[in-house]
Amino acid sequence: MRYVFSNLSQGLRRNLSMHLAVILTLFVSLTLVGAGVLVKRQSDAAALQWGNELQITAQLCRDDDPNPACLGAVNPQQLKAIEKVVQSNPQVASYYLESQQTAYEKAQKLFDPKLFEGDTPVLTPSAFRQSIWITLKDPNEYEGIESAVQGLDGVAGIKDQRETVAPILRSMEVMQWASLGVAIFLVVAALLLVANTIRLAAFARRKEIAIMRLVGASTVYIALPFLLEALVTAVIGVVLAGGALAASMQFGVQDRLRDFLGFIPWIGWEDYLYSLAIVAVLGPVIALLPTLLLTRKYIKV
Amino acid sequence: MIRFEKVTKTYPGTSQPALDQVSVDVEKGEFVFLVGTSGSGKSTALRLVLRETRPTAGRVYVAGKEINRLAGWKVPRLRRQIGTVFQDFRLLQTKTVAENVAFAMEVTGHSPKEIRRTVPATLELVGLSDKGDRMPDELSGGEQQRVAIARAFVNRPMILIADEPTGNLDPATSVDIMKLLDRINATGTTVVMATHDHGIVDQMRKRVIELDTGRVVRDEARGVYGFQH
Repeated sequence: MRYVFSNLSQGLRRNLSMHLAVILTLFVSLTLVGAGVLVKRQSDAAALQWGNELQITAQLCRDDDPNPACLGAVNPQQLKAIEKVVQSNPQVASYYLESQQTAYEKAQKLFDPKLFEGDTPVLTPSAFRQSIWITLKDPNEYEGIESAVQGLDGVAGIKDQRETVAPILRSMEVMQWASLGVAIFLVVAALLLVANTIRLAAFARRKEIAIMRLVGASTVYIALPFLLEALVTAVIGVVLAGGALAASMQFGVQDRLRDFLGFIPWIGWEDYLYSLAIVAVLGPVIALLPTLLLTRKYIKV
Repeated sequence: MIRFEKVTKTYPGTSQPALDQVSVDVEKGEFVFLVGTSGSGKSTALRLVLRETRPTAGRVYVAGKEINRLAGWKVPRLRRQIGTVFQDFRLLQTKTVAENVAFAMEVTGHSPKEIRRTVPATLELVGLSDKGDRMPDELSGGEQQRVAIARAFVNRPMILIADEPTGNLDPATSVDIMKLLDRINATGTTVVMATHDHGIVDQMRKRVIELDTGRVVRDEARGVYGFQH
């Protein structure tokens, strides 16, 4: 074991510039992978909040509705009639009714808590509308159901989610694929760099390796310094990437975006941990996979 | 100890086999010279014993085990039972004499205590007990070969394979090396030595196996090198 560890520090120093290159490439590629995962979580969270892109909502009248289409709150007969129209429409895949209470609870997560506090809070469940959330079979065929529901008694209006949400979701998707796309190139670069480093290290140690094979050192024993070297660089890469992601969570999402764009449900630290877990698995895999393959090739008994 | 049964080895891309239907049996404790011109198949035979390569046909047994059937992970265990010495010594120039010998024990998992006990004794056996702290390049060729023999013998192998061990040495030094190999053989270790050196073979009067283009053309119990070229 003494030999393994003295070789490890020696190997790391001998190939310092190569190892730094591996660490930096791993750092940037893992950060991008982590960022891609975070953006994915973000767009999932947003989609969950707003319904997915295919949904449109029919807002139903409430008490004292300021909307001129409403004459008081929707009554059960009107509601039944509306549901019947929705149910029988061929463009509708599915629908569900969201109560005022649910709308109120969703809003609580988004808006300033002060609006919900005190004896006479600004917002109460009665300030929200019931709504019917309609999922379309084909997102491009919505005129039929919109015109069928629009103007029914008890309907305040139709909100087509896609108009507001789609651009946000689309830009998140672009960000997600851009970061993952660049990450893939960098991961390939990292794999090749690791492979080159191993090649150099195996060449530098070729005499020792030849003698070790000859006197009967086990393959694991011969490969161990290489694997440990790869593991050390991987761990440093993961720590750096984890730090960079944590910093962007803290200074970007928590400190700025949350205040600046409060109506979006922003990702939290549990999402960070999720992306960190992926990065922490991926890093060692990127470093160890080529090492295992190449040590098998160069140190074959 | 070593048995070849109709062993044929043809390297990829060649039509002429390096070894052709070779059958040989070497008993435990024997001292065997393997002679023949370059390309006669000596090195191939040694490589087969070490499982550096596998036969195309036939079987190779070492210590009763058919080694071409050996799983890859068991090969190191086979090689721990075989010490190997080469013409070019193959010492690590960055390590002292004692470290070079200790290296063979370290990498095969011996404890520091065992190493401290065994290395000086082995250096004494090869006559280098006062040179353990020297670097290899401070030694003569004969002394370097002694270090290589110490390294090959330090794990007390059953077999010692020597591939032209005197090839780079002057005749007087060669005789010393042969005495050393003879002493190691006397401890019960089987020694197989490939060589071109007529003088040594004639002097030692040991078993001689001669190879010619991959075939055994002579196998004598107390032989000489053969035809004077």
